[in-house]
Amino acid sequence: MENVQTSTNINFTPRITPKSKSLWQHAWTQLKKDKLAMLALTVVTLYSLIAILSALGVIATGFDKEVGASYMAPNLEHILGTDIFGRSVWDKMIKSTEVAMSVGLVTAVISIFIGVLLGSIAGYFGGLLDELIVWFYTTVSSIPGIMLLVAITFIMGKGLFAMYLALGLTSWVSLCRLIRGEVMRHKDREYVQAASSVGCGDFRKLFVHILPNVLHIVIINFSLQFQVAIKSEVILSYLGLGVQGRPSWGTMIDDSKLELARGVWWQLFAASIAMFIVVLAFSILGDALRDALDPKLKGK
Amino acid sequence: MSERILEVKDLVVEFNTDRGRITAVDGVSLELNKGETLGIVGESGSGKSVTALAIMRLIASPPGHISKGEIKFKDKDLLKLSIEEMRKIRGNKVAMIFQEPMTSLNPVYTIGNQIEEVVELHQPHLAKNARHLKAIELLKLVGIPSPEKRIIEYPHQLSGGMRQRVMIAMSLACEPDILIADEPTTALDVTIQAQILDLMRKLQKELGMGIIFITHDLGVVAEMCNQVAVMYCGQIVEKADVKTLFANPKHPYTKGLIHSIPSFDSTSGMKKEKLPTIEGMVPSLFDLPPGCSFQDRCKYATETCRGMNGRPKLEMVGSDHLVSCFNPIN
Amino acid sequence: MNIYFYIIRRMAYMIPILLGVCLVIFFLFNVVAPDPAMIMLGKHATAKQILEVRKELGLDRPWFSQYLDIVKSSFTFDFGRSWSTKQEIVDMIKNGAIPSLTVAIPAFIIATILSIVISMFVAFYRGSLLDKMTVFVCVALMSLSSLAYILFGQWFFAFKLGWFEISGYEPVFPQIISYVALPVIIWVILEVGPDVRFYRTVVLDEVYQDYVRTARSKGLSEKVILFKHILKNAMIPIITSIIIQIPFLILGALLLESFFGIPGLGGITLNAINSSDFPVIKAMTVLSAVAFIIFSVITDVMYTLVDPRIRLK
Repeated sequence: MENVQTSTNINFTPRITPKSKSLWQHAWTQLKKDKLAMLALTVVTLYSLIAILSALGVIATGFDKEVGASYMAPNLEHILGTDIFGRSVWDKMIKSTEVAMSVGLVTAVISIFIGVLLGSIAGYFGGLLDELIVWFYTTVSSIPGIMLLVAITFIMGKGLFAMYLALGLTSWVSLCRLIRGEVMRHKDREYVQAASSVGCGDFRKLFVHILPNVLHIVIINFSLQFQVAIKSEVILSYLGLGVQGRPSWGTMIDDSKLELARGVWWQLFAASIAMFIVVLAFSILGDALRDALDPKLKGK
Repeated sequence: MSERILEVKDLVVEFNTDRGRITAVDGVSLELNKGETLGIVGESGSGKSVTALAIMRLIASPPGHISKGEIKFKDKDLLKLSIEEMRKIRGNKVAMIFQEPMTSLNPVYTIGNQIEEVVELHQPHLAKNARHLKAIELLKLVGIPSPEKRIIEYPHQLSGGMRQRVMIAMSLACEPDILIADEPTTALDVTIQAQILDLMRKLQKELGMGIIFITHDLGVVAEMCNQVAVMYCGQIVEKADVKTLFANPKHPYTKGLIHSIPSFDSTSGMKKEKLPTIEGMVPSLFDLPPGCSFQDRCKYATETCRGMNGRPKLEMVGSDHLVSCFNPIN
Repeated sequence: MNIYFYIIRRMAYMIPILLGVCLVIFFLFNVVAPDPAMIMLGKHATAKQILEVRKELGLDRPWFSQYLDIVKSSFTFDFGRSWSTKQEIVDMIKNGAIPSLTVAIPAFIIATILSIVISMFVAFYRGSLLDKMTVFVCVALMSLSSLAYILFGQWFFAFKLGWFEISGYEPVFPQIISYVALPVIIWVILEVGPDVRFYRTVVLDEVYQDYVRTARSKGLSEKVILFKHILKNAMIPIITSIIIQIPFLILGALLLESFFGIPGLGGITLNAINSSDFPVIKAMTVLSAVAFIIFSVITDVMYTLVDPRIRLK
């Protein structure tokens, strides 16, 4: 070490651990220690697997077949009973995972795409472009989400595709805000100046240099969006704007509103529990991810 | 010799962390006399701030706890007091100021309110009006201009130096016997730093309290302190009065610290030469080497230092001069 | 710069936002939505009939004047008549507001007070099992569908136990309690989870600040530190979040009102959605957006008044 101490204070090289891990490795190590988070991750993986297998037609193929009498209570053969048409509630519940997981995934992807794109452009370029984007998202956030959802499904018609788009188009604002703020903080940092000094253009600086540094926000947001979308599917189905002609937890819960008075509780139970577990898992996972990836957001 | 008001004996503070238990303060003993200033010097992580917080019993628990030792204030062992009894000492008999004047005051209360609060707590017999006058008096004492006006201001309306003056005023509100100052000037500009140090010396003369001055700046120690303790990796490596320490440092670490203070040639005003630095880094408390903790950075280190003899013990090498080193400098 | 100037500037910014909201509504309902004339007349309408209805609804006029109509209605609150009930929409809003508020206000007040109390309590015992359990319960409460709460609550408490009524709202005291109590309880349960989680984080963000250490070094007790020093700092974001929730009360609770037969704004909105009653949907959207915009100005102004740190630019 050849550096010369010039200040009156004695400055030493800060202590660093010999092998410093990257943020992601560190986060993964921390996540692995959190048993609850690992359980949540397992649940999410399991649900994804079920969704894929059901989409491929490997499991729950009999969801639309009559397997017994109407409204059979849960029994050994049909552990969650049957619905009005004598279809297995268990199979419907499993088949519905497909809708829920795809709604969560596609919605999250759409909202992240819009949020990251607009947020980073606003934060990076500033000026009029920024003001325009801020105006746009303030406008969108002033309109109650449910009204936008309704309007978009009116236009798109009912069904899965309309639902993806409606939920995706209405849920990007908070991420956009966060990304804008974070990009603003980063754009004047030394590493970005270094990048421009070697001749990187704006887009390269933004997408290659800055965005990886705000990626953790996206990851945290992803798990939040996912579960919000799953919950919203139920509301849309109740409003009659959900999926048509195939089972979903939303339509199952919607059906059950007429069944409860007759003592038929199993359809509500099945859909609620299936949804409860995966939403809870995403919430726990989201919290754990936030603690691991963004220590400053941590509620210690 | 003047009256002894604080005696810390064999203090051990441990922290439980994700990576295991560390001993942040390992068998530290200190003494403070009335009206004198004890300097504690060390790098960040040496355990000097933890020692100060331990005296106040402000170690956050969990993760930390004081696992051994005795902190005798006059004739009371602070570690044996109940929480209520300790609270009567804090801010009253033993007060503390901190490194970050920008954030150490509560942003949503006026400075007057925050000073009056400590008076109200420890001198409940004073009426509201008397408290207010006392706060103005204190602000005047620490050299804040037009205190009647300043008293209703919020911390953000004051500069860093002014805020540190407010902190000092607050800490002196009950005329404590001991003032613990944890790097009080580190965050301030050099000129402000000098003003605050002057103020502290002046107040010490007027009020006669003992000061524990924690710093990493030996220049400040030379200016402020009577006694000095040098800490490294949670232990005291050398302890002496300030003159002896600067004239005759025995520990290689102390010597390194003294030599890295820049000095100016009085005739030309230029720096004489390149300053020597202490090479290497402070070892992590998680994996201290066996033997002396300073061995890796010490040019006098021998097999004894690296051996299985444990860490060197603090031994007397002169009158009131202690050092913990296998090969002290002669 | 003084506070009045700030308020004026902040209010001026309401205008582009309001114009933006009208633009979005216009774009969605007047430009890309399916032709209302087709919706009203069905598939077998003749071209002449469609033309007549379009004229009657003012849909044959240029787009710009259609947009201006929406902008005008956001200032005058003259939204015209409902397509399905033919009533003046302003009257529908006036009649619906009170029933909505009889549910919304008690629910909001109870939920807010309960959440603050719980979050202060768990923040005091932070890190303990109690704290961890409370956070877990909050997350669990949030993981159930609101529809599941409503259906279960109606079936169990109203149908099985017969404690509450679920239809036939009577706006007279004390009968009203049996209609309003259950939706209020469900609302509180739905609200407490997210609120406690947020308030707790806000309080804990303050717990580790330097000024708390200073307060301890003065000899203050943990109670005084929490309820005097920390609470006042934490109240700033908490009050902000409370105020910004208020505009959402105006729409009431869509689902709760429709399930419990409460003739409020939420119920009106839901009927309008079901019958594709565009003017009502547009009116409700404008109404809640205007409320939201006004309350976000109030929030911002409050923020600058409450927090001495904020200096106006």
